[in-house]
Amino acid sequence: MSGREPKITTFLCNWCSYGAADLAGVSRFQYPPNFRIIRVPCSARVSPKFILSAFRHGSDGVWVSG
Amino acid sequence: MDRKATYKKYAQAIPGAYAIEKTDKAPCRLACPAGLNVQGYVQMVGEGKYKEALKIIMEDLPLPGVLGRICPHGCEDACRRCEVDDPVAIRNLKRLAADQCDPRSIKIDCLPPRDEKVAIIGSGPAGLSAAYHLARKGILSTIYEALPEPGGMLRVGIPDHRLPPGILDQEIELITNLGVELKTSTPLGPDLSVDDLFNEGYEAVYLALGSHKGIELGIPGEKSQGVRQGVDFLREVNLKGKAHVGKRLAIIGGGNVAIDVSRSAVRLGAEEVTILYRRTRAEMPAWEEEIQAAEAEGVKIVYLCAPQEALTEEGHIVGVRCIRMELGEPDSSGRRRPVPIPGSEFDMEIDQLIPAIGQRPDLSALDDIEGLDFTRWGTTEVDPVTYETGRKGLFAGGDLQTGPWVAIGAVAAGREAAESISRYLDGRDMAEGRTPIAADNPQYRPIPEDETPRARAKMPELSLKKRGRNFEEVELGYDTEEGGYEAGRCLNCGYCCECYQCVEACGADAVTLETHAQQSEKLELNVGSIILAPGFQPFDPSEFETYNYANHPSIITAMEFERILSASGPTTGHLIRMSDHKEPKKIAWLQCVGSRDINRCDHGYCSSACCMYAIKEAVIAKEHAGDDLDCAVFFMDIRTHGKDFERYYDDAREKHGIRFVRSRVHTIDPADEGEDVVIKYADEHGNFHEETFDLVVLSVGLETAPDVAALAREMDIELTEGEFCQTSSFQPAATSRKGVYVCGAFTGPKDIPQSVIEASSAATEAGGLLSAARGTLTRSREIPEERTIVGERPRIGVFVCQCGINIGGVVDVGSVRDYAASLPYVEYVADNLYSCSQDTQDAMTQVIKENNLNRIVVAACTPKTHEPLFQETLINAGLNKYLFEMTNIRNQDSWVHKDEPTMATDKAKDLVRMAVAKVALLEPLKEVEVDVDPKALVVGGGISGMVAARSLSAQGYDVCVVEKSDTLGGQALNLFKTWKDEDIQKNLQDLIRAVDADPRIDIRLSTELTKVDGFVGSFATTLRTGEKEDTFEHGVAVIAAGASEFKPDEYRYGEDPRVVTHQELDKRFMEDDPSLRDIKDAVFIQCVGSRDEERPYCSRVCCTHSMESALHLKEMNPDMNVSILYRDIRTYGEREYLYRRARAAGILFFRYSRDQKPQVRTTDHGLEIEIVDSILGRPLLIRADLLSLATAIVPYKDERLAQFFKIPMNADGFFVEAHAKLGPSEFATDGVFLCGMAHYPKPIDESVAQAQAAASRAVTLLARKHIQVSGTIAEVNPMLCSSCGVCVELCPYSAPSFIEEGHFSGKAEINSVLCKGCGLCVASCRSGALNLKGFGTDQIMAMINEI
Repeated sequence: MSGREPKITTFLCNWCSYGAADLAGVSRFQYPPNFRIIRVPCSARVSPKFILSAFRHGSDGVWVSG
Repeated sequence: MDRKATYKKYAQAIPGAYAIEKTDKAPCRLACPAGLNVQGYVQMVGEGKYKEALKIIMEDLPLPGVLGRICPHGCEDACRRCEVDDPVAIRNLKRLAADQCDPRSIKIDCLPPRDEKVAIIGSGPAGLSAAYHLARKGILSTIYEALPEPGGMLRVGIPDHRLPPGILDQEIELITNLGVELKTSTPLGPDLSVDDLFNEGYEAVYLALGSHKGIELGIPGEKSQGVRQGVDFLREVNLKGKAHVGKRLAIIGGGNVAIDVSRSAVRLGAEEVTILYRRTRAEMPAWEEEIQAAEAEGVKIVYLCAPQEALTEEGHIVGVRCIRMELGEPDSSGRRRPVPIPGSEFDMEIDQLIPAIGQRPDLSALDDIEGLDFTRWGTTEVDPVTYETGRKGLFAGGDLQTGPWVAIGAVAAGREAAESISRYLDGRDMAEGRTPIAADNPQYRPIPEDETPRARAKMPELSLKKRGRNFEEVELGYDTEEGGYEAGRCLNCGYCCECYQCVEACGADAVTLETHAQQSEKLELNVGSIILAPGFQPFDPSEFETYNYANHPSIITAMEFERILSASGPTTGHLIRMSDHKEPKKIAWLQCVGSRDINRCDHGYCSSACCMYAIKEAVIAKEHAGDDLDCAVFFMDIRTHGKDFERYYDDAREKHGIRFVRSRVHTIDPADEGEDVVIKYADEHGNFHEETFDLVVLSVGLETAPDVAALAREMDIELTEGEFCQTSSFQPAATSRKGVYVCGAFTGPKDIPQSVIEASSAATEAGGLLSAARGTLTRSREIPEERTIVGERPRIGVFVCQCGINIGGVVDVGSVRDYAASLPYVEYVADNLYSCSQDTQDAMTQVIKENNLNRIVVAACTPKTHEPLFQETLINAGLNKYLFEMTNIRNQDSWVHKDEPTMATDKAKDLVRMAVAKVALLEPLKEVEVDVDPKALVVGGGISGMVAARSLSAQGYDVCVVEKSDTLGGQALNLFKTWKDEDIQKNLQDLIRAVDADPRIDIRLSTELTKVDGFVGSFATTLRTGEKEDTFEHGVAVIAAGASEFKPDEYRYGEDPRVVTHQELDKRFMEDDPSLRDIKDAVFIQCVGSRDEERPYCSRVCCTHSMESALHLKEMNPDMNVSILYRDIRTYGEREYLYRRARAAGILFFRYSRDQKPQVRTTDHGLEIEIVDSILGRPLLIRADLLSLATAIVPYKDERLAQFFKIPMNADGFFVEAHAKLGPSEFATDGVFLCGMAHYPKPIDESVAQAQAAASRAVTLLARKHIQVSGTIAEVNPMLCSSCGVCVELCPYSAPSFIEEGHFSGKAEINSVLCKGCGLCVASCRSGALNLKGFGTDQIMAMINEI
């Protein structure tokens, strides 16, 4: 992995974590730009299939937050 | 902290609201005759923005370099810096701006030229200013100047060493550059009359001839050779560069002309130059710096001396006879009148005499002009506002109209004349809106107390050596460094300096000149009801020396500490001490600062909220700083009486290790070294301690602001002892004045949940009063018909937002836009400066229609705030609003990767690609509309249930009240008096009668619920009364199921009849039991069944109840010994007065701890209670013949009710509201509301308020008639469903169920009203039969594919 930036796919609950990611922006927190956020209505929406698919499409990590 | 004039009003708010702070216009600006925005240009110079400074100056004044040298700067006399040291050198800063930036380079906005011609007579400051301002209005004028050079007095009255002619030339050039024509050597006279000008087609003429004629001395010999007027002398010097000065020259006068003549004469080679002035130096009108310069250059000044006669020989002056003067009484100008001293005559030998005692207008060219009149001082008569003379179209101004005055006054006059002439040409009213408005008692930014004196920057001058016989400019002007320093001395009196840099900077046009000019307005509104919600102000501890708050930076208030903890605060949430940025290791909180204290601050009440907020702050501080942080809370009683607060307190103590020290701190001192603070206190056992802390937080109380109290008095509203609004327990939102309601901290100090409850309560009171008017002042919107897109291939429009520089400053928006155009199905791309602005929205609507787009992506900020807005745009364009996807390239991209623009741009492209992939698969969705049955079910017939029913009925809705017992009234039937001493039974009976008599209320006693079907808007509830069952249909339900008194099994309750509960004692009070009077010793034990392991909550009402009962016993028999055994006394708010009264009445208080509960024994002489007193640390024995137990309030834990309405219950058995702070009277389940003790133990006033609140929340639904249900809900494909039932089991909202009949019987279906669209069932469906509309599996997969 050295020298390569990992790619992370995140599934964020619209009501909490997605809002928290917005707040991180409002607070101007700086973090590495290798996240790709997918907004879901609830973390319960995240089917295991999504996680597998994310890995299949080259994600190095998948983060479900809600 | 000092903030700028523009600031964010509420740091925490999203989106943030900004404001500009303005007070009255700065005194310098008001003092300037032309009203120049002095503060504005001084600030710009301070920032090195010379061009911007010139722009501000040139709004009013076209001659910045000229006035920057010669203006007598009345502004500086008004400067508030004089209160600190010396005024800001305003004039010199103006000059610096003009020195640093050529005024000719400033672009001056002019309206398009008009055809009308205007003539201006005179090219002095008035004429030039009029021409300039006319040109800006598009009116081009011709200036006629009598002399060969333009500039008037500026040219011929001021010598070059003060005003180099090149500067004047430059600034006249900037005026002629605008198209103004200048004709020199063209005097008004026989060849050119005013009539000629009108005849030539000039529609208006402005007379600005100035005052060029010197006033004669009136002494013998004045006509002889060698005597000439100062103004004539200066004119000659200025036009020809020389004039005859002779050897010995005397000048009569004390003004600037006299000085100018003297300094010019020195330069022209006069050997002896003397100024004769009849008063003393103190009265001399010339500027002090000029006088000094003249003296330095060798001019002699003789004071208290007046000429009597010019001595002549052969028609030529050879001397002057003078007389000594002395000062007498003050004259009309306020200066002391000079009086000749008889016999003091003396002669002076001279060969030139120059009188310079004043000027007046030369009127020789103005004779016989029709309509032009003159005053007795030889000046023109004009209208004081419009400057129009008696003749239409003829205006006059400047020194011709005022007599000799300052140049800036003439500039102002020229500007005003231009305004009049422009209005005259338009045929508009010339006077309207031009009367100057003077601010009475102007408000300014206070001068900071710590403002240190700083010397005024000295103007660099040409050295005396270099001056000699030349006219080189003496004052050299500041350099930029000196200018920056000097401008920095400005105190910014008006806060906003109106430089309008914000207007330039605001790309969204939110800040404009118009919004800048907004004034506070007085509005008159016709209303049927008023709700007062003025809130509180935090107690200010700075005046109380004991707290040392004002003197020590390490002692702060809790409000300040909140800001330090806040991510949007000054330290972005990093816990540091502000004074030295040290991370504190030890923090102390001091409770009851400004509360429960009648000795120091006169607030005898408890502020209710402080214990909880202090604990919260301590816990969060530890979360921020880690476990090493030592937090100590110094308190008298911990009052965590709110729902779940006691648990929070327990956790703070036991899990977070926060120390709680029961002590009132008496001294806070600075540590010997550094910024630390030493607290001295005595512990419970009387031992003294000294402890050093890094930071001390004062838990300041809540108080009513003085202006709020004044407002209440003005409105004739009664206040309590603590200056809170007086209300009754049974109508807690009603003030003493009918139609005026109240909520929040103004009715007493309180926390957020109770404030929110009261807000709804006040709304329901006002709503009941106004229900007849519901829907009368509404407007409805026209919605275009929705376009069908079935069968169309996707035509996607992508809009990328710059959000000003918020996105555009980091992400390369253009490249994201171009990239979007390359994506499949994308037909249209655009980028917008602000996509959310109204004009962009309108443009988007057009673009969608014109390009026939059927899917839209907006890459901008967050959908959480802006998705509804863009969905509206889709609706307006005739598209289904679900054909939309928003992607967040601001909050989650540009803002968080601001140092990595390339990566941020790549991320934005990825996000847009993902959104495009998803949007292509989106389908139009329908929103189901449900009718709302306008009836309510209220569960519970206690005070809460009855009040809720009455409130709903008052708003016009039918209500069914279901009560399981055979009577209305609930727990209140057993209660004696409220804490405000109101008779509960009387009020309760009134309420029961009102409910009974209400035709809209159906009362069902001895009735239970057996089944609840349906959902918000259409419930069907089965009720059973005895054997009979029937169904009630309703749109909403209010749960007011109540709670009851705990019956304990300790303290010999139930074994000894002398041991009773509160309600049992109340019953005896109500019966007026005579045996109570014979009791000698009564004891109360608090927290019986509360705040223990089984019930770790505070029952909230018991402390107050014990105070009431104990006081009542004392009233019945003052000799009775009454004791209260307690853990913490929790008489919150103004209930604290009862505690105070109880102590004053001699009631004894003993504190026990949870580990050492009192022991009760029955003996022959009565009850014996043993308690380990916490102060003495020794057991005490108290005898009693009455023991009242303050037992807990316990909920019914009605699981069936919870399941019927799918409402959650906490571990204690109380129902759980939608949101602890913001939704205390409703459930997360739509259409079901909550009030009373089923929510949490509470006294009658709070139950009534919450019942009204629940009704208020219910009415918001009932009033809608229909409700729309979101389109993003689950759907079942019955062909794939395997009937496994996982979805039915899992769904927290009971939305899935099995189809009972028909072809698909046994398969699952989703109730679209109940479904919240979470997708849990979809993710759990094993057969892939379920899908979530709007977040479909294919749609999310499409996004994942494009990661």
